[in-house]
Amino acid sequence: MRPLTEEESKAVFTKLANYIGKNLVHLIDRPDEPYCFRLHRDRVYYVSESSMRLGISVARPNLVSLGTCFGKFSKSGKFKLHITALDYVAQYAKYKIWIKPNGEMPFLYGNHVVKAHLGRITEDTPEHQGVVVFSMSDIPLGFGVTARSTVDTRKLDPTAIIVFHQADVGEYLRDEDTLF
Amino acid sequence: MDVSNILAAHAAKYQAVTVEKETPLDVDPGLLLVTDLNPIEEETYNENLEEHLQSLARDGVQALMASLFSLPTKTSPDGPLAILPPPVYQLPRAKPLPKPKPPTKWEKFAAAKGISHKTKEKKVWDEEKQDWVDRWGRHGKNKEVREQWIHEVPLNADADWDPRKAARDERKERVAKNEKKAQQNLARASRPQSERNEEIERTLATTRISTASMGKFDKKLDGEKKIRGVKRKFDPTEVPIATEKKNSLDLLAKMESDSKKMRREPRGEENPLNVRKAINRASGGRGGIALGRELSGGGGRGRGRGGRGRGGRR
Repeated sequence: MRPLTEEESKAVFTKLANYIGKNLVHLIDRPDEPYCFRLHRDRVYYVSESSMRLGISVARPNLVSLGTCFGKFSKSGKFKLHITALDYVAQYAKYKIWIKPNGEMPFLYGNHVVKAHLGRITEDTPEHQGVVVFSMSDIPLGFGVTARSTVDTRKLDPTAIIVFHQADVGEYLRDEDTLF
Repeated sequence: MDVSNILAAHAAKYQAVTVEKETPLDVDPGLLLVTDLNPIEEETYNENLEEHLQSLARDGVQALMASLFSLPTKTSPDGPLAILPPPVYQLPRAKPLPKPKPPTKWEKFAAAKGISHKTKEKKVWDEEKQDWVDRWGRHGKNKEVREQWIHEVPLNADADWDPRKAARDERKERVAKNEKKAQQNLARASRPQSERNEEIERTLATTRISTASMGKFDKKLDGEKKIRGVKRKFDPTEVPIATEKKNSLDLLAKMESDSKKMRREPRGEENPLNVRKAINRASGGRGGIALGRELSGGGGRGRGRGGRGRGGRR
């Protein structure tokens, strides 16, 4: 377990900022308790200071996980956001999309969101913007990247993809062994 | 007939040809240079600066002209030309002094040992010819052996031993050696020793891992050390959380300013039109969505929320 280097921090922050924008400051500068990012076996954990201090006393091979896993670094140094970060990402999300009940299952099985399943979408969402996917009852289901801007989606046919799938809560079952 | 007032008017119109100063002006016609060493008169300086400067300049030019007309002349098709004397004033160098050459290895050694340089004469005395001959060059003293009509052959010499060729080879070898030393001196002068050692070590490290087995099965020389790479350095796990927070916020601020810069640059080149401003203006400050709705004739759904779109689209 160690703090992130500047390059690693940069990779993590740019990925998070794609979803929550300037709200990223609220993750770092929290009023309740100080939180920090820690790297352990290529995974980035978002930990409260007290848990981090407890975790220091655990030897590296014995430490399985701590805090909330936000994602992992690939071997080539790219950062991949995991579904476990959804709680924080959904809380501060800048752009959201709500999908109809009949679209929930396809999305939770790892498919992209098509226009037919689109319930609501935040106004003025640009193209290739990270968005959080909600069910119509405001339960966060995952996140993805918009294929088109909100204005452009009007002209599309119902089968066109509007959000590329990135992560969904179905991964808790599918990738149970590698997720945390 | 009294012409004194006419003369006075004439004198007032034209100033005196000779320049009278407390300290005479220093004129150097060789450089067409006049130096006024007199202290500045504060009164006239403060009163009217422009006039003061003009009068100073006029005096200087007058003195220069006077000195030019007193010089010897020569006639030319364009009229008489004054012959300028060589300049007296020493102009400062335009360029810095050339740096001294770095000493060669021999010069360093000689300085350390206190050996002083001896100049060799080009000519040397030849006892046989009873004449001064060149030390080197065509028919030089160093090629004496080649022109000898009889040679001593060493006892262990081969059958085809050529005394002329042997002498020539020896001479050529000395030349080559000197050339090599000169090259080494040049290399030494261009970079310090420590830098060259570093490069040698880098090259050695590269060659050691450049075999098929990445150096694993190579013969080890005694005293050869293991190659050590650069160790990664990380912050300690437990730093005051406040400093960590500050670092993160600083990094965020830096990233934001960087991305702003990145965004600004290409826009300036690609599109001279400021799209955001144009949309703002066309929609009357209500944003692009409202404008689109208006143009497509879509109705009152969005009317109530018109304010939200203000400046929303970037």
